[in-house]
Amino acid sequence: MSVEAQQGIATPRIPAGLGGLLPALTLIGLFFVVPVLALLLRSVTDPSPGLQNYAALLGDGTYARVFFNTFLVAAVVTIVTVLVAFPVAWMLAIMPAALASILFGIIILSMWTNLLTRTYAWMVLLQRTGVINRALIGAGIIDQPLPLINNLTGVTIGMVYIMLPFMILPLVGTLRAIDPMTLRAAALCGASPLAAFRRILLPLSLPGIAAGGLMVFVMSLGYFVTPALLGGTSNMMLAEMIAQMIQSLLNWGLGSAAAFILLVVTMALYALQLRLVGSKRAAGGA
Amino acid sequence: MLLDYDRLGWLKVALLGFTTLVAAFLLLPVVFIVLLSFGSSRWLAFPPPGWTLKWYQELFADPSWIEAALTSARIATMTAILAVAIGLVASFALVRGQFRGREVLRGLLLTPMVLPVVVFAIAIYAFFLRLGLGGTTIGFVVAHTVLALPFAIIPIATALEGFDKSIEDAAIVCGASPLQAKLRITLPSIRIGIFSAAIFSFLASWDEVVVAIFMASPTLQTLPVKIWGSLRSDLTPVIAAASSLLVALTLALMIVTALLRRKLQT
Repeated sequence: MSVEAQQGIATPRIPAGLGGLLPALTLIGLFFVVPVLALLLRSVTDPSPGLQNYAALLGDGTYARVFFNTFLVAAVVTIVTVLVAFPVAWMLAIMPAALASILFGIIILSMWTNLLTRTYAWMVLLQRTGVINRALIGAGIIDQPLPLINNLTGVTIGMVYIMLPFMILPLVGTLRAIDPMTLRAAALCGASPLAAFRRILLPLSLPGIAAGGLMVFVMSLGYFVTPALLGGTSNMMLAEMIAQMIQSLLNWGLGSAAAFILLVVTMALYALQLRLVGSKRAAGGA
Repeated sequence: MLLDYDRLGWLKVALLGFTTLVAAFLLLPVVFIVLLSFGSSRWLAFPPPGWTLKWYQELFADPSWIEAALTSARIATMTAILAVAIGLVASFALVRGQFRGREVLRGLLLTPMVLPVVVFAIAIYAFFLRLGLGGTTIGFVVAHTVLALPFAIIPIATALEGFDKSIEDAAIVCGASPLQAKLRITLPSIRIGIFSAAIFSFLASWDEVVVAIFMASPTLQTLPVKIWGSLRSDLTPVIAAASSLLVALTLALMIVTALLRRKLQT
């Protein structure tokens, strides 16, 4: 037996130590932390030192509307996603395995399909002369095509589509962890299905709903692609405004200040989510 | 009885009906785009007046699409290799290391997954402009590796947490060097985690749009940038053809993953 090996047994936990973290920390430090801090610095120095960029953003009605819209869209998307995801997760948690694996397959296929592909499909489906409007007119439900794209409706449909898997999958875990006996007991004691749902199933799944909902809300707040393609100019969201300020207007000061506001809000909500579920599960769920 | 599938009664019918609708909603765009790509109408009329392969011909006749796909494949492959290598050594330290602030460091390494991509995109764009790395392959790979790292660390660290370290210690007792024990015992045992890490970090780069839009130059475009540009100008069915190929690729990846998992687990 080698000397090395004996040492290995004497101290079974040789610290793999900080050494293994060196490459990762270098990468993240140099190409993530430094650039983001430089951006923050730019928001208070460009074009001249001071807080005028923040004053401009927070004091102007146009920007206030963008902030309001961002929160509105994120809130609507979160509520719709939770309402749609809950029954699906419920069924997934209890349905026979064969059926569940088909449904999981569909969810994963939609989740792994290229983001732009999915958004492109919704652009074509929802346009004025698109399939959905034609079908509705053909069925005699409406006579004029509905405005389904370049507005809140379009963004909501496109975003809910993207967010659903992120809500359904963790929620299945929460629901599977609930002991069916508690609900059988409720039924035996004479609780109606509605009462059992309201007083047992819903409260027990609330932590999962809160954690998933918060994650969907945070992801929606900073979303760029789908709102940019399915939303209208009148309900622009923060991420798109930031991209425009930098790319088209070359206004780095204002753009980085807006980015910093988005960063602070996101990180605050993320911290809240961590407190709700504990760090490992939050990261694993995303 | 709400969690007993067979005793739900009328509620089961309602819930299953709703679930079927949601499944249809999830499938709709994917199926629709594939059908559309074979439709003969340039104006995307649906159902199409006839069926054709001409959008695929147009796609393959245009070297800029091929070029973009190859660029994406190259950048995503390099990203996946880097992210898995860096993520692997980092995971060992995170799971087994005994030092203070471990949770904080873990959190830091996972932050790129949480921060809105647009914030990172403009930050790294400004940074790389200064370093002269804007619009370069290296710039793309570095930026994408930052974004992919969490997707490499999470599955590897999870697999490592589930691995019983005493097996590795047993190998050492039997005379293997610590490195040998890691290479021949531990790594093969956590291969599912490593494999998932490779797939996820490849996809994190392959599908990445926002950083790519800022980083791209006229001579260096990834596939998502090419699609983004086409989407903003017109909704040509050629995009549907390209998209369908991406759907096919996704399906292939899903099948390979499922098969490999089954094989590796037995």
